[in-house]
Amino acid sequence: MSVTEIATKKVTCAADLERVRAESSLRASVETVSVAVCTSTGCGAKGAERVFAALEEALRGLPAEAREVTLKRTGCHGFCERGPIVVVQPGDIFYQNVREEDVPEIVRETVLNGRVVESLLYEDSETGRRCVSSTEIPFYRKQRRIVLEHHGLIDPTSIDDYIAVGGYRGLTKALTEMTPEQVIAEVELSGLRGRGGGGFPTGRKWRSCAQAAGELRYVICNGDEGDPGAFMDRSIMEANPYGVIEGMTIGAYAIGASEAFIYVRNEYPLAVVRLQQAIENAREWGLLGENILGTGFSLDIRINRGGGAFVCGESTALMASLQGEPGEPRAKYVHTVESGLHGRPTCLNNVETWVNVPTIVTRGGEWFASIGTERSKGTKVFSLVGNVCNTGLVEVPMGMTLREIVYDIGGGVPEGKALKAVQTGGPSGGCIPEKLLDSPVDFDQLSELGSMMGSGGLIVMDEDTCMVNVARYFVDFLREESCGKCTACREGVAQMSHILNRICAGEGREGDVELLLDLCEIAEEAALCALGTTVPNPVRSTIKHFGEEYDEHIRKKHCSAGQCRGLFEYRIVADTCTGCGLCRKACPQDAISGERKKPHVIDQAKCVQCGACLEVCSFSAIAKV
Amino acid sequence: MELTVDGVTVQAYAGETVLAVARRAGAEIPALCSHVAVAPYGACRLCMVEVKRNGRSRMVASCSYPAEDGLTVLTHSERVQRARRGVVELLMAQAPDSKELRALGASMGVDESRFPTIGPAEGKCILCGLCVSVCRDVIHASSVSFANRGVDRALTTPFLEPSEECIGCGACAAVCPVGAIEIRVSGDEIEIAPFGNRVRLARCAECGTPIGSVPLGERVQRELGDRSTHTVGLCIDCKQRQAGARAWKVGRLRPASRAPRLSPTARS
Amino acid sequence: MGTKTDRRDYRATVRAVAEAYGRDPGFIIPMLQDLQTDLGYVPPEAAKEMAELLHVPLTQIYSVATFYKSFSLVPRGKHIITICMGTVCYLKGGREISALIQSRLGVGPGNTTADRLFTYQPVNCLGACALAPVMVIDDQYFDKVKLGHVPDILETYAKKDERDRDRD
Repeated sequence: MSVTEIATKKVTCAADLERVRAESSLRASVETVSVAVCTSTGCGAKGAERVFAALEEALRGLPAEAREVTLKRTGCHGFCERGPIVVVQPGDIFYQNVREEDVPEIVRETVLNGRVVESLLYEDSETGRRCVSSTEIPFYRKQRRIVLEHHGLIDPTSIDDYIAVGGYRGLTKALTEMTPEQVIAEVELSGLRGRGGGGFPTGRKWRSCAQAAGELRYVICNGDEGDPGAFMDRSIMEANPYGVIEGMTIGAYAIGASEAFIYVRNEYPLAVVRLQQAIENAREWGLLGENILGTGFSLDIRINRGGGAFVCGESTALMASLQGEPGEPRAKYVHTVESGLHGRPTCLNNVETWVNVPTIVTRGGEWFASIGTERSKGTKVFSLVGNVCNTGLVEVPMGMTLREIVYDIGGGVPEGKALKAVQTGGPSGGCIPEKLLDSPVDFDQLSELGSMMGSGGLIVMDEDTCMVNVARYFVDFLREESCGKCTACREGVAQMSHILNRICAGEGREGDVELLLDLCEIAEEAALCALGTTVPNPVRSTIKHFGEEYDEHIRKKHCSAGQCRGLFEYRIVADTCTGCGLCRKACPQDAISGERKKPHVIDQAKCVQCGACLEVCSFSAIAKV
Repeated sequence: MELTVDGVTVQAYAGETVLAVARRAGAEIPALCSHVAVAPYGACRLCMVEVKRNGRSRMVASCSYPAEDGLTVLTHSERVQRARRGVVELLMAQAPDSKELRALGASMGVDESRFPTIGPAEGKCILCGLCVSVCRDVIHASSVSFANRGVDRALTTPFLEPSEECIGCGACAAVCPVGAIEIRVSGDEIEIAPFGNRVRLARCAECGTPIGSVPLGERVQRELGDRSTHTVGLCIDCKQRQAGARAWKVGRLRPASRAPRLSPTARS
Repeated sequence: MGTKTDRRDYRATVRAVAEAYGRDPGFIIPMLQDLQTDLGYVPPEAAKEMAELLHVPLTQIYSVATFYKSFSLVPRGKHIITICMGTVCYLKGGREISALIQSRLGVGPGNTTADRLFTYQPVNCLGACALAPVMVIDDQYFDKVKLGHVPDILETYAKKDERDRDRD
């Protein structure tokens, strides 16, 4: 180490870190009030930056004798539907749907006088009670937040915060008290399985990579979260970038790599910024780069970006992309742990997998294995979205049932509608009907149901969802995203898409379902990569559990869920219609006629089924028939 | 190492693919995107076979699967035939004008594809990638590549402009399994269709017969150095005549040997 | 900005972009993204310049630029309209919004209006599923977009552009 290096690094040994930690914790005394505003993508889209700016100004204007107030930006709490979210300490006061106009009241009541602003608290719809802290909110109560523990608490740009909550304890222990072999053994003991969708035992992957021949090896973080409806990784990268980096550093130590990459999809610009900043800070502090903590272990991490291709979530396609090539997968008969990036041993893991690593090292593999089911250990972060009351990210122990997640945590389906299915695993997954909702969520159970865990998207679908349309959506998605290399997927998925689109347009024919199933078989048997071999899941699961909808579309040319254009009609219910005329004004085709205060009528010949009338009707007088 | 292919024991050595081993054992496995000159690509999916190991059975692309000791390979099981027929049906729908595909299909009992042609139906190209691989990895010219992805995937020159890198060697046409690439001579140029690449035609210095392309000749000259003086620039007959005259001179006359032609259409 | 036909005009820009990544061909995608941020799109002549600078075949740059959907080889509109086509957004009205935008602007996915004001670019999931359906215009996020509001939002941008043009 050169003199300048020693001079510029903030921590050069484990003792340094403990000192920093002690000093940081001391700072958070009871006398300090802290206001934390989530400024991640979800809350950001709803104006969180404006709330932050307003708070900043308001706090600047406080009298000098007021208590010291810290204002900080935090990452995603996971309850994005209720954003912008502001948490005030002491008291863990959880404010939701905060607007700029609410800021003066928050400062006056809560910051200065420790009083709660009732209207900004979450209201439990069952009891009518207002919840002060997030722990009282049903959405959070049944969660077990280990991966997401620090979300909303720490400033993602501050390495101090991360260290203060215990960050880098794992790396310190691994580097100073354990051998690489012991680290691998601990991860094997934990039973951790890949969180990106494959569910491959992480410890086993690390061991194979460590044993592979070759001097140069790589560690990669797969941040190409492409499953639509899944945003766990985005949230983690934005809220806890240090957790990802610490996990990767431990992994690199275990397998003997000195170079690492984080591949972030193009659609997550904030995640790239946060990670880049975290890497730079970590380097500055000597926790990345040469001779980390004086142990002789060195690692550098670089961020590379995707260009807009779902297939790059597949490990070999990702590696091709990292080599500056199109994201075409290749056969994995020779595993990437032996020959991956640039033909060298490569250990690729998902964001959530990496974040689990420091905790496993500090608390032990046995502790981790005590959570979850027999073959699926630990917790899993799911994105619970769709037709569910409480939309957001939930972390639960493996083995919790779908019903518990959807109802106890998610609050059930809004507007009193019936639940039809829960879709898991993204485009590679399937739809699980209501009657199977008591299935526990774990890797193997979900596969047995004809779906898969995938990266963790749980899309709740209510009774107004057309399942043929859902299959059509996923197949169209895969057609768009197919790399096009292999015949089975490129041509097979295109043919499936063609058939499903015909069916949804009312041009379905006898034999279409059989053709679809045959195409599923070809894809499953002959496709090159998992994108192709799993395309049968959404098709087969919808045909199996909702076959009557396919029949109805094909034989009766009717879509009873009212989603496939042309296969249903928008009709005004004369008895309920008040003749307010809103729908008539909203219709872009002038297809609605009627006198004021008299029931209106839709001219089916002119109607293009855009849905504008249904959107504006406040009397529920328009039905899809 | 030893493998069992369709019940027959075969010897194999490390580094061989199941396709090579199986063919040596006499199995007939179609593999349109495979060629000895380039590394396996695994695009066409016609070479799928069933492999069994430790009681587990799976479908793999034999062109890319490394031979393993103790592996059982089935090249014509019902499962394999179903998959292969399905793939050929998809290919026939994709490239309806290809005689080779129709013949291949017929040999499997597939006279017509159940699937309609829904893509651009550009005729013959099945996107096997052999031309791309040979141009990039053997000729080191990289004149053509895949563009776009999925159903829009196409085989073109960059920006659909004639490529400056093309040396008119014709390797692409030679490896294309469906005859989708044509080398044409027109006037003083060789044109590679459908790419639109054009290079100057080279003619024999002695008799003026077309012998190949100028850039190719220059490349050969560069790589052979001094040894090329009597090789490049002459047609085969003139070359042999000159070689004969030289051999007569030094008393080492030998029967003329048949040297490979530079270009299949050189005599047109 | 007009399209330059001499690639040397792009030399400085391409060089700056490539240097930022140490001229490492593994970073071709971020380089092209930065180029697109600078120039609005990826001009073919700039791509040729990049191939030469990085010592990679032009076919590689071309394959990459056409494989990944975030790149455009032709100039794009002043405003990029992105509709999220993730599952939740799609089911909660994204499909209808997409259809409305396409019919109103007269463009298909990835294309630009004749007046060069708008480019319509659908994207597969922005990860803001709680706010479905989501629309992004340039850097502005619109959450829980209602079909009826879309024409007005488009009008706002069109009017602003008119004002800007009148001013110039």
